[in-house]
Amino acid sequence: MFIHYLDLSWRSFKRTPLVSFLMVLAIAIGIGITMTSLSVYHMMSADPIPEKSSQLYSVQLQTMDDGSTWWTEDNMPLQLTYQDAENLLNAPTSEKKVAMMRTGFSVYLDSDKIKPFIGNARMTTPDFFSMFNLSFLYGGAWSKEQEDSAAPVVVITQEINDKLFAGKNSVGELIYLDDTSYQVVGVINHWPLNIKYYDLNNGAFNQVEELFMPFSLIKAKELVSWGNSNGWKHENTPTFADKLQSEQVWIQFWAELNTLEQKQAYQNYLLAYMQEQQKRGRFNRKELEYKLRDVNQWMQYNNVVTEDNKILVGLSFMFLGVCLANILGLLLAKFLRRAPEVGVRRALGASKRQIFLQHLVEVAMLGFIGGMLGIVLAQLGLMGVGQSYDYYENLATMDLTMLLSAPLIAITTCILAGLYPAWLVCKTNPAIYLKSQ
Amino acid sequence: MLEIKPIFNALCRSKVGAVLLLIQIAITTAIVSNAAFIIQDRISYLNQETGYPEQDIFKFNVMTFGTDINLSQQFELDESMLRKMPGVVDAALSSSIPLSGGGSASSFNLKPAPQEGLSVRTAYFFIDDHAINTYGVNLIAGRNFTEDEVLVTNEITQKRTNVTIVTKALLDELYPDGDGLGKIVYFGDLPLKIIGVIGKMKGPWLKDSKPDNLAFIPYIKAASYAQVAVRTKPGQRAAVMKEIENAMLENYSKRVINNIKGLDELKNEYTAQDRLMMRMLIVLITILVLITALGIFGLTLFNISKRTKQIGTRRALGARKSAIVSYFLVENALICSLGLALGVVTAILLGKMLMQYFSVAALPPSYIAVTAIAVFLMSLLAVLAPAKRAANISPSIATRTI
Repeated sequence: MFIHYLDLSWRSFKRTPLVSFLMVLAIAIGIGITMTSLSVYHMMSADPIPEKSSQLYSVQLQTMDDGSTWWTEDNMPLQLTYQDAENLLNAPTSEKKVAMMRTGFSVYLDSDKIKPFIGNARMTTPDFFSMFNLSFLYGGAWSKEQEDSAAPVVVITQEINDKLFAGKNSVGELIYLDDTSYQVVGVINHWPLNIKYYDLNNGAFNQVEELFMPFSLIKAKELVSWGNSNGWKHENTPTFADKLQSEQVWIQFWAELNTLEQKQAYQNYLLAYMQEQQKRGRFNRKELEYKLRDVNQWMQYNNVVTEDNKILVGLSFMFLGVCLANILGLLLAKFLRRAPEVGVRRALGASKRQIFLQHLVEVAMLGFIGGMLGIVLAQLGLMGVGQSYDYYENLATMDLTMLLSAPLIAITTCILAGLYPAWLVCKTNPAIYLKSQ
Repeated sequence: MLEIKPIFNALCRSKVGAVLLLIQIAITTAIVSNAAFIIQDRISYLNQETGYPEQDIFKFNVMTFGTDINLSQQFELDESMLRKMPGVVDAALSSSIPLSGGGSASSFNLKPAPQEGLSVRTAYFFIDDHAINTYGVNLIAGRNFTEDEVLVTNEITQKRTNVTIVTKALLDELYPDGDGLGKIVYFGDLPLKIIGVIGKMKGPWLKDSKPDNLAFIPYIKAASYAQVAVRTKPGQRAAVMKEIENAMLENYSKRVINNIKGLDELKNEYTAQDRLMMRMLIVLITILVLITALGIFGLTLFNISKRTKQIGTRRALGARKSAIVSYFLVENALICSLGLALGVVTAILLGKMLMQYFSVAALPPSYIAVTAIAVFLMSLLAVLAPAKRAANISPSIATRTI
């Protein structure tokens, strides 16, 4: 029966090509526009690490004295001071944790074959790789001992390995970063990350760093942050040691807490830590405050999806609403014109239900064709989006969810639009039309 | 004369089509007026005056890894080499670059820290006496730095900088009475005398809470990572940009020169999201208006085919062609007016919602008014062609089949 209805729909489509085409066009444009903005929104808000996004927590401490303000919605600094990061890192607690900062080096080899270039580096602790689910192509992370002794070691990305060592296993090789040589201990596989959720300070859609190195090198090499450093009071920090002891915040800190108990224990620890620091004259406030936000909360808190995107999605759906009204009007016209034919079919024994279904199938077919055409339009739209904004290149694509939901939304919209006309036409009283034949 | 009453009665007999059209017109009005307002807002943001001859300025980064030189001396050499390059007007080491989205900001205070007093947020550049000429900005009062006032250091010394040049916006905020030139402001606990005022120049962030506040502080701390700004003669920037890497490496080779970008390019990158939003909204409202027009067009065609006999009868009874055309125009105008009334309300509500949930300013009524007029005209245009066709229906149709 379904096939028969489809056949009938196709005939009806061919009988009134102009109106049918207009309807398909309306739905295609509506879907095209909606899908373009929805896809960007979807990619921006997508969970970057779904398997453990609820176990990774970004740690924030309220270091400011009472009366000082920060620009975040809850008045909390986004990063930690170096001293807090170091203390939390060295805490005798069992969970995995990582402190980190972005910086950069001139990268070159001991030969003239490769022109020196700038490499972005993440100074971090060895747990980084297992916490954020990075996998190694060669070698592995540096050891705890190497971390503690600020050993000159480096983990590089596959891309850099291809560039410097033509893709060969480079573990044990030396590369030069600024004025020092570092030994490669590992090469990580390509890490495709649309949203740089672990450090949102300098844009959510920036590239992942190419070099990963021990956090302890910051102190040893006096490395400055290439990200943000912010202060909330005037401090004189002429030397690097002063900066390390200052209240400036410039370190990102994450902890992996797998169970509720673990989370509770960590919260208790943070409170105890701040109370202890209070004795040393820091955390001058009545109420001690900390925040643990998991990956998705962190992204929301940092407004990864911009206002503009939300407005666009909203307007696009209103636009789809206009298309729906448009199609409804056209469907009404088309179906009512066919009333005589329906009258005959009813007289020949078709039930109202069958007539209703037949028309819904016809509408769904229009929706399907429109949806398919809409995907094509959305691809064009996304191409335009990707070209206008470098960072959007990875985001301006439709993943499987979006590709599947496009025809789904199209068909749903069309069926919604078709319900009333189909109902109207199935109510047709056969007698009237039989009389005037 | 316009026969509104019978037209209205006829409309009431086929409500659904009219209601659909009404809804379309209402939503269209709401979206278009709000989107047009956001577009206008973005256009004025994107086209704002920055104070710089953006086309003639570019910047590049220097990352030095060699340790066999004195960085300060090297930068002196580089600067004098750059200034001598053909096509270059001036060049200067600049701690941040305007419009780039990256830089430093702090506050200027009327009292030295930790005393409390008026405190104004401002971006600042550590730069030398070539700043004004390199950035091509206008000194409207006071004087430039002298060479002696520029502190060049790689070491921590007791000697400190004691002058600054600020923008008029910053000066007016610190000294609303307009007597700020020559006064002392505090950068932390460091006193700085305001010796010059720049008419207009934007800081590193166009979206900052104080985009117009910027101060030059004559202090050069040579570091392994540095940014250099260069102004060229009009039309010669591309050529200079192409040579810059080689020229710099020839001067000293153990370093990386990258990020060679024009000021306009930096601005484009910084505003990319806004341009994208603007373009998407323009596409959206254009298509929206077209779709609505198409809807009106389609519905009128349908009505005409439904009423072919009726029109033929009217013509046979003596109605002029113009009466038929005006019938459809008036019918459409009726629906459209109702739709617009609803649309104005929806537009205001939508504007309120955008204002409440997002940082969109209040929608000025003029946008709604202009949109309403435009939608009305558009709907009349969409009806005109089908109505003329209807007028051409021959009276004989009415008599042919009864």
